Amino acid sequence: MIKLILKKLSITFIAISFTVISSVASAEITITWPSIWVGKDSKTTVIGELIDEFNAANAGSIKVVVEEQTDYDIYAQKLTAQIATGELPDIMTVGAQLLDVLHRSGKAMDLAPHINSDPHWNNVYPENALQSAMTDGVLSALPYELFVTPVTYNKKILKEAGYDEFPDNYDDFFKMCEAVTANGKVCTSQMTGKNGWTSMLWYSQALASAGGPDIYEKGLDHPAYVKAFEVMEKMYQYTTSDAIGADAGVSGGHFLNERTAVFMNGPWFIARYTSDGIPGLHENIGVAAAPMLMGGEGSPGGYVGGRQSSLAAGKQSDPAKEEAIVKFLKWLTIPENVARLSYSSGAMFIVNADLPNDMDRLFIEMKQGISDAPYVAPIFQNGIGSLAVASEFPQALSALALGDVTPEGAVEMLQDAE
Amino acid sequence: MKIKKDEVGWLLLFIAPTLILFTLFFILPILFLLASSFTNWDGIDAEFVGFENYIKLFNKKSFVRAITNNLYWCITAALITVPLGLIIALLLSHRSRGWKVFRTVLFVPQVVSSAAIAMLWAAVFNAEYGLLNFILDNIGLSDYKNHNWLGNVRTANAALIGFSLCYVGYFMVIMLAKTASISEDYYDAAKIDGASQIQKDFYITAPLIKSTFFLCIILAVIFNLRQFEYVYLMTAGGPANKTQVLVVYIWNELTVQRLGRGSAAGVIMIALGAMLLLLLRRILKSETYN
Repeated sequence: MIKLILKKLSITFIAISFTVISSVASAEITITWPSIWVGKDSKTTVIGELIDEFNAANAGSIKVVVEEQTDYDIYAQKLTAQIATGELPDIMTVGAQLLDVLHRSGKAMDLAPHINSDPHWNNVYPENALQSAMTDGVLSALPYELFVTPVTYNKKILKEAGYDEFPDNYDDFFKMCEAVTANGKVCTSQMTGKNGWTSMLWYSQALASAGGPDIYEKGLDHPAYVKAFEVMEKMYQYTTSDAIGADAGVSGGHFLNERTAVFMNGPWFIARYTSDGIPGLHENIGVAAAPMLMGGEGSPGGYVGGRQSSLAAGKQSDPAKEEAIVKFLKWLTIPENVARLSYSSGAMFIVNADLPNDMDRLFIEMKQGISDAPYVAPIFQNGIGSLAVASEFPQALSALALGDVTPEGAVEMLQDAE
Repeated sequence: MKIKKDEVGWLLLFIAPTLILFTLFFILPILFLLASSFTNWDGIDAEFVGFENYIKLFNKKSFVRAITNNLYWCITAALITVPLGLIIALLLSHRSRGWKVFRTVLFVPQVVSSAAIAMLWAAVFNAEYGLLNFILDNIGLSDYKNHNWLGNVRTANAALIGFSLCYVGYFMVIMLAKTASISEDYYDAAKIDGASQIQKDFYITAPLIKSTFFLCIILAVIFNLRQFEYVYLMTAGGPANKTQVLVVYIWNELTVQRLGRGSAAGVIMIALGAMLLLLLRRILKSETYN
């Protein structure tokens, strides 16, 4: 009887030992990445490929799992809550407006030691790009995607309205809008839903034009904020009837379907002109710097833009997992991979990548625009330095567009939110 | 009933799980909310700021508007949605042909995701391709061809609250269930006295389900004080904060990392809810609680 019990115990012990040994031997590190580069996003395909290739190359040891986040605003809100609770995901895509709070939380992995210990990784970035992204020697997020937001316009619609060139000042711009309207089309795509993205970009352009690229340092009392709202007030006379309350899908959709003549968004939208636009749309699109306000402190050809998405990681207690995350971040920043990403989507990246010669025409024109630009001013959402003011912008804009407040009143709404 | 001394231990033992859970998930969060409402907590740092959050909130037009909009939702529910539910319940209580179909159709919105319903109605109200404008245009009201129902200060609130009427089915079902418990003897007696159907409805059914009707009013007020998903998904409080409600306001404060002020708004909302319930309890006490 005792023999039988001992025999059974031995078998059980051996079985358990094998299970433990095999599980330890096959311990796979899983990295979760709530990613916004999914669904309709222009980077979806190549990001998916890069993850698959990375997982295949590290089969059995590291696995990157994407949690799809298709709504940028909800993603930012979720991230905000996670920063506050200290429950950060393994990897995250951080917008410029959250960089400060992410750093202050102290919950992000400091990437500076990893960058400093790998000169090759440091070298894929332009000189001082990483240093300027550090705060007190800590690198909480890796600069990744860049953007500028020139005007994109439908040359065919403008030609039908009698315009071969895009106007370089707002007086001529609104005359052009009159002509477009008279021709039965709508001049601009606007929106006040969510963060009011497209309209916020227009406002940023007008703001930099009126107050100069350093307008955000001058405070909300500066008259440029009112002047820029005066431009927006007029802009809303030449937009679609659903602009108030519309989200980015609606405002972009109008331009993609040739219902509007002028649209403003980042270079990541380039691929969508072909994939989601009506046939022939891409060929009809022109790129131009935003119009100027006469007598403003800005300069002709000035752009707005800056850092779009940065890559960050949650602080890890397991050194092996930290190494795995760093390995994946290095994979995403390899110049060849960045070039693939840029080529397929049209998005711009800070990493020094040799881009193919046959890059999209619009991408090349935007790049040229940046080279020629006297400055690239921050967009309002990032430059104003207050999440509360940035989130009040769509409400102030809709109040202005509906005639509920004057441009001065719209600025007061922003001040009130501070 | 007097509790014996030796029963106290057992009594405490049996109510302990409920008390512990209630304290953990209700009392403590409220105390935490109250404490954080006196700070400038941004999710990372916090300093005591006294009543500053409350003063700032009451000085904000958008916050005051959120309170008035919530009251607007509550009043609409109490004066329109629930009475409409009562009328439908009275009609369906006749058990006429097809009454089950109507009951099911009216109850369907309760079993569909509110997010899906909000998206559907946002599409119906859309200015460019919305069904409502299409219908209005086709019946000759071409002035409304491109009317932005949810993006217009004059119509946004009405459009939001208007569609909420489809939730009449919830209250209708509660009141209809109550009608089933009314003894047939009343109706037989009324029939002998020659009462018409309308007289039966108004003099027998309605008075006998009065307590349920008042209960529905209380429920409707509570639901509408917590209004969030329709406003958030359809207008996000816009345009120009005209459709702002308390929970969306609190949500916005949290997303911009003003957690202290969001907590203060939460405390005000709880106080407002408590006041409304006490008021309703006082008004409806004799019918609902006796």
